[in-house]
Amino acid sequence: MSEQHAHAHGDHPPIADAGDGMPGYYEIMETAVRELLLEKQLFSADEIRRMLEVMDSRTPALGAKIVARAWVDPEFRARLLADGRAALEELGISFFEDTDLIVLENTDKIHNVIVCTLCSCYPREILGLPPDWYKLQPYRARTVVEPRAVLAEFGTNIPDDVEVRVSDSTAMVRYLVLPQRPPNTERVTEDELASLVTRDAMIGVTRIDAPKEKEKSR
Amino acid sequence: MTDTDRLLTRLPTEMGGLAAGPVERLEHDYLPWEKRCHALANVLDVHKIISTEEKRRGVESLGAEIDGKLKYYERWIVAFANILFQKQILTPEELARKMDEVEARFEAALTKSALAGEARGHT
Repeated sequence: MSEQHAHAHGDHPPIADAGDGMPGYYEIMETAVRELLLEKQLFSADEIRRMLEVMDSRTPALGAKIVARAWVDPEFRARLLADGRAALEELGISFFEDTDLIVLENTDKIHNVIVCTLCSCYPREILGLPPDWYKLQPYRARTVVEPRAVLAEFGTNIPDDVEVRVSDSTAMVRYLVLPQRPPNTERVTEDELASLVTRDAMIGVTRIDAPKEKEKSR
Repeated sequence: MTDTDRLLTRLPTEMGGLAAGPVERLEHDYLPWEKRCHALANVLDVHKIISTEEKRRGVESLGAEIDGKLKYYERWIVAFANILFQKQILTPEELARKMDEVEARFEAALTKSALAGEARGHT
């Protein structure tokens, strides 16, 4: 819930409004910048609306579908690992920015985790907008120097004989982790596989557990 | 080495390797204006008005104090405004006037809805 405030001036810290009441200073700035650029016909209001719709369609569920496809289709997996962006564009997934996508495959010997030490670069085209912790100092500062300790804070303990690889994203290159297919899933459908895949596993801070055996009902 | 060398060798936003506390798994649902700000960024990139790289540099050049005190999308919109001034697409005066106009519009809409609420017997 937003805090109550009578008006918004530039001289106090903005309060992010949840929808009702006066918008904060920076929200007013966003509206003003957008409207000025629209008046100058640099783009159309429709483009902003369509972009919002596309962004809303990009959630970890989309990433999960891609991962499940890679697990069941070795040729797709090979294309995805060779050129992530091209393989996804083949599926009709457009990219918003001029960025490459490198897909990092976890194996028995290698565990990948992604970070952006400079800012908040993230595979938004596939996973949507990043969680706050990904953008905050502790994760950005420590993942590159003590990844195992950071992963342990997520409850992920990587055995010593598994190499941990940290990939630091940039404005030009984004990464996505292809998690390992969990054991005992040979007879599971692609849709069911997708339901096992989590956002955090595609960032690389967690691994995917084997599906729980269905409780036998009497 | 001096006490100030870190200021020269490291950008204010470059955090890799700095000491920091434990990761708190904070998350929030993005606010509508934050999503709009992001959509604006994407459209600006599509039209080659502001690239992702320019945006990153724009946020970096806000300096450490703004970096520490403003929230994520607050830094973005301020950086966009600065870049648009530098590119002479907008002027500061133009933006200030438009912000006044937008604020007045919101205030008028709020007053109207408050009056409508009173008319319906709400207080």
